[in-house]
Amino acid sequence: MAQETLFLKNTEAFAESLARCGVKYHFAYPITPATDVMKRMAVILPAYGGEMMQMESELAVSSALAGAACTGKLVATSSSGPGLTLMHEAIGFMCAAELPCLLVDSMRVGPGDGDILGAQSDYYVATRGGAHGDYHTIVLAPSSGQEIADIVPTGIKLAYTYRTPVLFVIDGVSAQTTESTTLPAYHDYSAEFDTAGWAFTGTQDHPKRALITGSYSHQDGYDLNEKLRAKYATIREKEQLWEQEQTEDAEIVVVAFGIHGRMCRDLVAKMRAEGKKVGFIRPISLWPFPELAFAGLPDSVKNILVVEMNHGQMVDDVRLAVNGRIPVHFLGKTGGDMPMNTLAEMIAEANRILGE
Amino acid sequence: MENLSAKYGKTLNLDKLTSYCPGCGHGIVTRLVAEAIESLGIMSRTISIVGIGCGGFSHHYMDIDAIEATHGRSPSFAIGYKLARPDNIVFTYAGDGDTCAIGLGDLMHAANKGMPITTIMVNNTVFGMTGGQMSPTTLEGQVTTTTTKGRAVPHQGYPLLVPEMMRAMPGVKYLARESVATPKDVRKAKKSIRKAFECQVKGLGYAFVEVIVPCPTGLKMNVKDSYARCGNEMTDYFKPQVFKDETEQSDVA
Amino acid sequence: MLHKCMFSGSGGQGSALMAKMVCLGAIKENLKVVMTQTYGIEQRGGDSTAYVIVSDEPIGSPIVENDADIAVALSQSIYGNCFAGVVPDGMLFTNSSMVDNPKESDAFKQVFLPVSDTAVQLGTVRCANMVMLGAVLAGTGLLKLETVEEVVRETIGNKKPQLVELNIEALRSGYSAMKKES
Ligand SMILES: Cc1ncc(C[n+]2csc(CCOP(=O)(O)OP(=O)(O)O)c2C)c(N)n1
Ligand code: SF4
Ligand SMILES: [Mg+2]
Repeated sequence: MAQETLFLKNTEAFAESLARCGVKYHFAYPITPATDVMKRMAVILPAYGGEMMQMESELAVSSALAGAACTGKLVATSSSGPGLTLMHEAIGFMCAAELPCLLVDSMRVGPGDGDILGAQSDYYVATRGGAHGDYHTIVLAPSSGQEIADIVPTGIKLAYTYRTPVLFVIDGVSAQTTESTTLPAYHDYSAEFDTAGWAFTGTQDHPKRALITGSYSHQDGYDLNEKLRAKYATIREKEQLWEQEQTEDAEIVVVAFGIHGRMCRDLVAKMRAEGKKVGFIRPISLWPFPELAFAGLPDSVKNILVVEMNHGQMVDDVRLAVNGRIPVHFLGKTGGDMPMNTLAEMIAEANRILGE
Repeated sequence: MENLSAKYGKTLNLDKLTSYCPGCGHGIVTRLVAEAIESLGIMSRTISIVGIGCGGFSHHYMDIDAIEATHGRSPSFAIGYKLARPDNIVFTYAGDGDTCAIGLGDLMHAANKGMPITTIMVNNTVFGMTGGQMSPTTLEGQVTTTTTKGRAVPHQGYPLLVPEMMRAMPGVKYLARESVATPKDVRKAKKSIRKAFECQVKGLGYAFVEVIVPCPTGLKMNVKDSYARCGNEMTDYFKPQVFKDETEQSDVA
Repeated sequence: MLHKCMFSGSGGQGSALMAKMVCLGAIKENLKVVMTQTYGIEQRGGDSTAYVIVSDEPIGSPIVENDADIAVALSQSIYGNCFAGVVPDGMLFTNSSMVDNPKESDAFKQVFLPVSDTAVQLGTVRCANMVMLGAVLAGTGLLKLETVEEVVRETIGNKKPQLVELNIEALRSGYSAMKKES
């Protein structure tokens, strides 16, 4: 496949980007608003010598994903909140087992079966994890079709460098948005990594290997956790990703990811035009959370406004990052015909805080 | 408009006019279930536990308590409920995807436990609600949005025959497959569904009825063709029959 | 360059197709483009609105929030909604074959064209959307006429080649009608 610019739904942009960057096997179970990823994968993967396997549940999806990941090949899945909830057994397992794989969560309104409209309500379950134990999943939040295409290679590199699952999250509104996206030419990014040292391929070229996440001794449990602790510390230190604009002299900084993060560009342009000193930070890696962006904020910043399509989840991480240094405000909404705050509402709230 | 509620009794409530698509098989099965509840006089103690799928709307048309379970788990919800309130009549109602894709494990264990619970599985060979993807009961060669070249048996397997899997379970006391292709089939289905409830009222054990129905929308067919398919391709493979009927046993409850 | 557009119509009028043509044309002209679905009341009933943002720079907010500078109302039932969605100095293109008693506006320019009637004269009312699209191109310079003609050839030509010439004629007649108007 050559590089080309297509007009795609962002779910389809995910499918195209995953396939063009080397994903061979995709496992999934239908759920709105993520089904379009698996539908497109079913059509395009055979041309790449791969296959989309529809499984009977998300539990089976994630277990099949783990099984396939054991081979060292690049594998992926796509789902939405209720499905992601069911996948946590395997996600925790894959973190313990140090298996690379890619997951896409097209977030909808929760809790329970929820509503198929878009939301950002899986921030907690994505970044904190829904399984037991001390583990972390790398979480990346692209905000447009182009960013999906650009960030999938990063996700693959992170998954293989650190041998760990990488979860892409996108709100369902962005997922259903159709836009122009320049897709890369085919390049298998996983081929840049040698998996011969750990993959379970049979003993023809290595002595017996066994994938064991249970501990035979208490020391085993300790050792595994210490190893993971060191790995997560490295990721925290080296892999924070964010976009930041006009914070140098800002009095208020708006923090948002995904679609609201993208809207911040317009917010800052409009408010700066009125002489308001506004900047924004758009976290791209949600775990590791971009704490460095906050450490570098100047003293001019008197307030932070966090905007999310939920009732306040990432706002916790912002508060931890500023550690009481700057007051943190929150604006959020989930569900309804328009399942998010509008740009006008964001600007009004920022102005209200500025006027206080 | 004719007052259908008066015709069908108190259980069926058509005030919330149906959110099913025109010609959807769920409409018929929902009515048959309401009629069975009505005729057995168990309305006020009956609980509907529905799955996620278009059949999840079914309880809106019945004036009975209802629980919308998580996807595929209605049989386990029913086990828990029946244990806590054994005098209530508990039935699950869900599609083929809910019942035998994500919910197959829960279903088989509920059946094997043999507790008096009734399950209605509405098989339209497709995931209707999510827009027509392959389900475990999709026929070989059937085109869906996830099998654009038709279901291929290598890798995608054979259409699942669910009651056949339960046949050997002693705890299952009533077991049937019916269809709604023709008025005659509907009459048979009506009888089976009533028996499946009777089985629970008598406290005999688990009862299961699969009903083969059309989903014109998911199959992208007009209503007439979808009923013809129901009476031909679908029922050629999913053969309607009563596998087991032990409801004539004496009352054990 | 940044244009926020809303294309509204009732069932079968093809407002979504107009939007898609604009999107595909924008890509041909190396512009960025975003299209979003309708939220809120218009979702109900047969009406639909497709929102499109075209820009030569990466697009920020993908949502058109009552700040369209180009709006199209193909039917009566969505006219009010479109009227409310246009910014000062914007343009509202209305299908005068279908809309009676239009409102007056000082803030933005209104163009009234009987595109359904024109379409009937061309052979079928179904190409009213293309007549209107031609007018929008002429009135706003959103995209080049030739670009959209190319899109029509590619998209319609694939499925229904016999309709290509009709649609191109429709585009051109809307284009020249608008040129005469201004
Ligand atoms: C855990 C989870 N996964 C996926 C879904 C999405 N989903 C909703 S209904 C449905 C399938 C419905 O198919 P079926 O049970 O056959 O019912 P039908 O609509 O055909 O009657 C799916 C997969 C969900 N709600 N929850
Ligand atoms: S999609 Fe199919 S199952 Fe669902 S209501 Fe429509 S016809 Fe019935
Ligand atoms: Mg079904």
